[in-house]
Amino acid sequence: MDDHVVSVLSNIGVISFVALSAYLLLLTGEISFGQQAFFGIGAYAAAIATAMWGWPLAAGLMLGALAGASSALLVGLPTLRLHGLYFAVATLAFAEMIRILLELFHYQVAVDGELVGPNGTDGFGGIRYVFQNKIGAFEYMLLIYTLLATALAGLWLLERSRLGVAFRMIGGDETLAKTSGIAITRHRMIAAALAGALAGIGGGLYAHLTTYIEPRIFDIMLGVHALAYGLIGGLGTALGPLLGVLIDIGLLGSTRLFSGYRMIVFGGLVAVLLIFRPRGLLNEEMVHRIGSFWRRVWPTDPSQKSHGKT
Amino acid sequence: MSAEILKVSGLATSYGKIEALKGVDLRVESGKVTCLLGPNGAGKTTLMMTIAGILQARRGSILLEGKQLVGLSPANIVTQGVALVPENRLVFPQMSVRENLLAGAYQRNDKVGIAGDIERMYTRFPRLRERSEQLAGTLSGGEQQMLAVARALMSRPRLLLMDEPSLGLAPMVVADIFRIISELNRDGTSIFLVEQNAHMALQVAHHFYLMEQGKVTFDGTPGELAEDEVIQRAYLGTSRRSDP
Repeated sequence: MDDHVVSVLSNIGVISFVALSAYLLLLTGEISFGQQAFFGIGAYAAAIATAMWGWPLAAGLMLGALAGASSALLVGLPTLRLHGLYFAVATLAFAEMIRILLELFHYQVAVDGELVGPNGTDGFGGIRYVFQNKIGAFEYMLLIYTLLATALAGLWLLERSRLGVAFRMIGGDETLAKTSGIAITRHRMIAAALAGALAGIGGGLYAHLTTYIEPRIFDIMLGVHALAYGLIGGLGTALGPLLGVLIDIGLLGSTRLFSGYRMIVFGGLVAVLLIFRPRGLLNEEMVHRIGSFWRRVWPTDPSQKSHGKT
Repeated sequence: MSAEILKVSGLATSYGKIEALKGVDLRVESGKVTCLLGPNGAGKTTLMMTIAGILQARRGSILLEGKQLVGLSPANIVTQGVALVPENRLVFPQMSVRENLLAGAYQRNDKVGIAGDIERMYTRFPRLRERSEQLAGTLSGGEQQMLAVARALMSRPRLLLMDEPSLGLAPMVVADIFRIISELNRDGTSIFLVEQNAHMALQVAHHFYLMEQGKVTFDGTPGELAEDEVIQRAYLGTSRRSDP
């Protein structure tokens, strides 16, 4: 496969994690401008683990996920009782705080006679695990997509579980969800932790893909994109945000279709969709329609046969 | 007097400094339909939300068959056997009819029982069976109200709270809703109903309260309600034929 294609696809795969992270919170009706913080925390944690402590990649990624989830819980404690705009502003403030803390973060050790580790605004280079272990770019891309597929399968199961139904109920109408007996804050905490873990894994993968990270990468633009992916692609299924990433990075970014005007086109796309299709291209209605079409073409449940009469 | 399922005493609820309920006392008799009338802004919805635990009471008590509900979470109150059909918040529009019904049974774990209850709802509300896989947001207003009632029933409540179920519906549909209310009541569910449509309520309710500015100002039987001149003028719209 062409190097450029591999690099674009790897990028799409990695960014998909932070898009899924924002999507999960959108499901519960919370708009977060701060998922890039957990992406960044995951990136730093995973990179420190492999490059400085000599951990294997799997353990590093797990640490990234754990760091993302636990910091999301910590932030969630005071913020998840907030609503709408207040929550959005609080998450944005938190993410900026994390970015500034990373700029002040110096922690370096000598590895093979060379200083490695986060060095404030100069970033954190030499995350060479992939290179040192002779994992090719293509193989690493496969790893990204294996993990992404696992995450999607997990979300697919989640959305069909009691927990997923509860998430959608809370996102649909909080008061109604309360009257149906759902503990709102507890469910939002679970969603936030899962979203933090997703972003954390994505960050870990990102750090090892680029071998160099710096606080500037995890700024508000990444968070805005993460949110926009779900809003463009659709909130009816976890595939929605992936479609959003594909449109942005795959179509607008890598083909240079609109070159210098990309951000204008992207912003315009978001604005148009918010007006005409507020829950994105693959919204619940579309997913529902595809689902019933599917069932009509390949009926699986024999008890549904009587359905034809009505 | 027969046994009461709900007893509210001295209940006060505030929004910040504004007191919406100023010491409300009322009781809902077991197996009966009790109706609360009152103008907009009287605190009827606030009372419903407080009973359901969505708003916190500042003072007073709410006893469900002797058990204190004040301080319990909304989830816990549902488990205790109280279900609310909130005003104007009918369904989860992005979920199918069937999923909405399952949502109403969220607190229950008995799969077989839930499946049986869904079947019962479909029998009672045939339109919902026809629309089972349709997204709830695509239903008509009346169908959504039926679904809202069915969803509330999925938690198997002993006490059903209904906040203005006839609001914004066509007269035919309103008649349907009231037919269902009396059917449910005949099957043994105690119902506490907020309504502005006193004419319809007179056909189903066994007892009436009138609430104005956060206080109960009338408490009586349908007969007494029909006799009360003030209520007649304000809620039944006509003075009596014999009046000059």
